[in-house]
Amino acid sequence: MTKLCTVADLEKLHAELAKKKDPARRVIAVCAVPGCGAYGSEKVPPVLREELKKRGLEEKVEVIATGCQGFCEKGPITVIRPENILYISVKPEDAAEIVEETIVHGRVVERLLYQDPATGQKLVHEGDIPFYKYQTRNIFGQNARIDPNSIEDYIAIGGYLALAKALTKMTPEQVIDEVKKSGLRGRGGAGFSTGQKWEFARKAQSPDGVKYVIVNGDEGDPGAYMDRSLLEGNPHSVLEGLMIGAYAIGATEGYLYVRTEYPLAVKRLYIALAQAEEYGLLGKNILGTGFDFNIRIFRGAGAFVCGEETALLASLESRVGEPRGKPPFPAQSGLWGKPTNINNVKTWANIAPIIRNGAGWFNGIGTKTSKGTMIFSLVGKINNSGLVEVPMGITLRKMIYDIGGGIPKGKKFKAVQMGGPSGGCVPESLLDLSIDYDQLTAAGAMMGSGGMIVMDETTCMVDIAKYFLNFLKDESCGKCTPCRVGITQMHAILTDITEGRGTMEDLDTLTELADVVKNSSLCLLGGTAPNPVLTTMRYFKDEYIAHIRDHKCPAHVCKKLITYKVDAGKCKACGACLKACPAQAVTGQKKVAHVIDPAKCIRCGACFDACKFNAVELL
Amino acid sequence: MAAADIPDGVKKKKKVGAVAVIGGGIGGMETAISLAESGYRVYLVEKNPSIGGTMSQLDKTFPTNDCAMCTLAPKLVGTSRQKNIRLLTNAELVEVEGAPGNFKIKVLEKPRYVDVDKCTGCGVCMESCPVRNTPQIPEPAPFSSKMDPEKRKAYERILGRYPDKKGALLPILQDLNAEYHYLPEDGLRYVSEVLAIPLAKVFHVATFFTAFSLKPRGRHTIKVCLGTACHVRGSPKVLDAMSKKLGIAPGETTPDGEVTLETVNCLGACALGPTVMVDEEYHPMTVGKIDQLLKKYGWANVEKADAPETADAPGKAETTGTAATKTTKEAPAQ
Repeated sequence: MTKLCTVADLEKLHAELAKKKDPARRVIAVCAVPGCGAYGSEKVPPVLREELKKRGLEEKVEVIATGCQGFCEKGPITVIRPENILYISVKPEDAAEIVEETIVHGRVVERLLYQDPATGQKLVHEGDIPFYKYQTRNIFGQNARIDPNSIEDYIAIGGYLALAKALTKMTPEQVIDEVKKSGLRGRGGAGFSTGQKWEFARKAQSPDGVKYVIVNGDEGDPGAYMDRSLLEGNPHSVLEGLMIGAYAIGATEGYLYVRTEYPLAVKRLYIALAQAEEYGLLGKNILGTGFDFNIRIFRGAGAFVCGEETALLASLESRVGEPRGKPPFPAQSGLWGKPTNINNVKTWANIAPIIRNGAGWFNGIGTKTSKGTMIFSLVGKINNSGLVEVPMGITLRKMIYDIGGGIPKGKKFKAVQMGGPSGGCVPESLLDLSIDYDQLTAAGAMMGSGGMIVMDETTCMVDIAKYFLNFLKDESCGKCTPCRVGITQMHAILTDITEGRGTMEDLDTLTELADVVKNSSLCLLGGTAPNPVLTTMRYFKDEYIAHIRDHKCPAHVCKKLITYKVDAGKCKACGACLKACPAQAVTGQKKVAHVIDPAKCIRCGACFDACKFNAVELL
Repeated sequence: MAAADIPDGVKKKKKVGAVAVIGGGIGGMETAISLAESGYRVYLVEKNPSIGGTMSQLDKTFPTNDCAMCTLAPKLVGTSRQKNIRLLTNAELVEVEGAPGNFKIKVLEKPRYVDVDKCTGCGVCMESCPVRNTPQIPEPAPFSSKMDPEKRKAYERILGRYPDKKGALLPILQDLNAEYHYLPEDGLRYVSEVLAIPLAKVFHVATFFTAFSLKPRGRHTIKVCLGTACHVRGSPKVLDAMSKKLGIAPGETTPDGEVTLETVNCLGACALGPTVMVDEEYHPMTVGKIDQLLKKYGWANVEKADAPETADAPGKAETTGTAATKTTKEAPAQ
């Protein structure tokens, strides 16, 4: 690997690699993410290579172990290009058949195809599958084309050319202008204009000229894993965005702040940094343009609040991750008191495509106030869970029913929770809402970082509100009282309600407390903490009332308000529930209907799941 | 007598300049630190010879039952180390004039009979005073001198990875935690000494982040994901059952030191949910699959799971009870 000293060197390398990695060549791309499907997905590519070697095809067919390709429900996904034949749930045992049938004989392996549940038809090509058909995979689509451990793969698809363009053909001001014109808004949740944020940092004075740029990869929202998949699947796209940002702002040092729960992302980023350094894309005098830049990796230590920028900075300085009041904003006084710009992983990943294709390309997608595409993790009670990238402005209904394939087991949709613990629950009546920063805020939810958790009729909304408060109660850093005490008290009230001790006055107290916490907390953790309670109370008040007045949990979730009982008429005395019960609460013998002792029952539902005759009832 | 020097030329409308905080209790200190961090010059006036206020006399505070000193100590240290704060102890406010944005205050600093500016802290006066001749406490020997040399060498190796001491505390603690699966107390003391960071601050960081543990953990960890996606797909049930099978509550370690059961807020494997992570391996889990998982790792007999007859139940419950009491209790993970 030779060092790239000029932009011409990079362009030459790109041309060479692009020729070698011609899009018309035959490629088998497999998601090889540990934790994809079940275990073993990373074992598929070596077995495929072995099978190709046996047939002497290893030179003609390339096997790429890619990062996440999004369709996690059916993972690991294997795509055979150039035809784009898509196989689902591929196991190492399937490798021989794929090579023999598809590669050698050009036939499709029927049993590995995706079957449309609506029509029962087997779909061969990636573009036919509804999950992919309605997406616009501008950012995330690259994952499927490259090996995340190979900088050459990234350069082959045009990587680092945007950096070269910015460094040689644009002034920092022009870069900022382009980003501003594109209408890109922060993908971390708050949705502030990225270009404006950069401008503040550009204009801020630093006495010794030191400025910092930071990638916020502290993806703490439960139910969201887009940042992880981007960092693991395409680390160079984030690095390139960061470098362009550093050039625009005038920073010489960058940090990648990654959540400690993502060890693989950290590993891949180290590899990516080493490769970029070897090619001379990091360090002194990058591409001969006089631009110096270095990046360091910092692992978080497991605190949700560190996603907040001032708390993130505090922990980068090895202090306790407590937020502080603003101003001064990080753009004026950030890391070690120097002007600092922090953006989310997805925001940085959007930069290179914007510079490469121009602001017009980006702002041609989306709505009036929200431009471009957004990556969501569509999870929970949904058929096709996974990561989806859609243009802004698409309706929730389209996302859930067309892309997501609706609710499993014919259950009824109840709500979709957006924006993590700071967001809110959107009910069915608002499903035609389009995805847009401002429309979502008006509905009481927020874009957040893109978590989208679908809930069906078996999800209790009071329990969900309690779940989020329990989460935030632990994650509140404790610095300011409204957040520390307010959330604890709201959680106590909700616990009372879910355990049958609630009163109607509690609802008023909750509203009042929510108001106080929202308006008087120091940072946005407290400022948005009441959202799950407020939205569930706004859209699902009847459930709260059922818990309080009737002591019933309509979704049969709240343990204190449900009872399991065996219907003696239906019970076949098979002993399945007896075996399944972890609390030894079921008694019975052969040919005698079983009985559940409510005193011993821990209400885990194991008997309910185990019974094949629907004899266990939930009351 | 010392007067807070607000620049005279400041117009009344413009709210800039120094801020005086009256009272050095927990509220006063927090206010002073926040203001100082925002770039204000702060004068913290306290009537008593030392700051800390009522909270320094309390054991726990309402309503969260947090340890009072744990909250207070970092603030005490923070106040004295913050360069933007001028501490005026043993002093009282006598006069306030002006309007919001431009106050002038008079503070009476009570005499100490020592010129604070000239005093070098040598302690000679204390030694020679015939009335209260309390000998000066000798500087304690550095902690590292009393340490087991083997251990010290091990810690030195970790600290050696960070030649730049600025901002190194968190990475060092992460490395310590990765090496020992918890943060040993002598390690923390040693780190505090080498980095010249007060021990209170080191503990503040060590207890704040969930990645750290002050109690030894098992050789392996089972993490049950309680993220939203896993929650709606039934992870609380998995946690309950796992906890029953292992006979330990979340946050506890089996008596043989083999497994620690933990909860995690999201593993980022939401499409598989409910997800369980054993060390670094992901497993999609249901209540029914737990036995299989434990068998795979050879942990099936931590407590026998499949009791066929109900007659066994009381005995079983007892075993669970003793197992639970033997375990090392950690800060609750919930």
